[in-house]
Amino acid sequence: MTGQVYFDDVAAGQEIPPLYKQVTTVNIMMYLATVWLLDRIHFDYPFATQRRGLPHVVAPGNMAIDYYAQLLTDWAGNEGRLVKLATQYRNFMLPENTLECGGKIQKKYQEAGKGLVELELWIKNEEGVMCVPGKAVVELPVRGN
Amino acid sequence: MEDSLLEKIGWKKYIGMVSGVKTGEPVLARDIRRYALAIDDPNPIYYDEEAAQKGRYGKLVAPPGYICWAIHDPKLEKRVEELGEDGLANFLGIPEFPDAWSLGWVRGGEEYEFFKPVFAGDRISVQVKFLDVFEKQGKSGTLVFTNSEATYTNQNGELLAKQRITMIATPRKEN
Repeated sequence: MTGQVYFDDVAAGQEIPPLYKQVTTVNIMMYLATVWLLDRIHFDYPFATQRRGLPHVVAPGNMAIDYYAQLLTDWAGNEGRLVKLATQYRNFMLPENTLECGGKIQKKYQEAGKGLVELELWIKNEEGVMCVPGKAVVELPVRGN
Repeated sequence: MEDSLLEKIGWKKYIGMVSGVKTGEPVLARDIRRYALAIDDPNPIYYDEEAAQKGRYGKLVAPPGYICWAIHDPKLEKRVEELGEDGLANFLGIPEFPDAWSLGWVRGGEEYEFFKPVFAGDRISVQVKFLDVFEKQGKSGTLVFTNSEATYTNQNGELLAKQRITMIATPRKEN
């Protein structure tokens, strides 16, 4: 992690540093076991492919929330805060995909002394297929506050 | 023109309905750690009590996305033979209507607003309001969309997060 990013130093049109994530079947298994999610499409290959017509077992869509949370909280630093996060589940994240999680600043504004930044987000696989588009609002510290 | 699936299941009458409050067991540091490992997020505030003490919150905190898993209804944890064929018992976002499981479900999207984090040891409560249901004709037939809003609080009654969930249901069919 680098130093703290400030509201004053960002502008619309800027992209934030991307995060690359690899979903392995082991990551999926850890997730399912921890949260007690038993949906067969996430762990049962014959069921997912033959019965549900999927290309593989698929990662739980919720993991996209976590990838975005990591992307944004790492960027916002200790003094920043993730305020809002929205996702749309468009294409499945599959095992062995390398996912690019990225974001671009749409606008920034101040509200009650808080510095708020709106971002458009994407999770794309290595073929450039959009899996989970998203949007977020992040609070950043304002210099001199 | 096929019959309206929405009329058949009759869910319009549930719009505006608010569920009872569900409260989970205390959140375990172990579950936070394993969740962070699963999502491969190395931030030490999820793993290390000492590092967390120096961090912004001063104690072990859960990743934001963990909140929707912080409440487990023991009644929904079933033996294998009692689970649906999909392996699912239930999860948040699927309306708890008597006939909900006659349909197949996928998650369409969600929208979180975060106010305060979940800490190890917290007991999280959730209440779900059923906001809307409507149908659309998709390429493969009728789709039913539901919108719900979950409100999460902790043991001190503090508002932690609101989550709007869109679920998409289709008539079940086998490949």
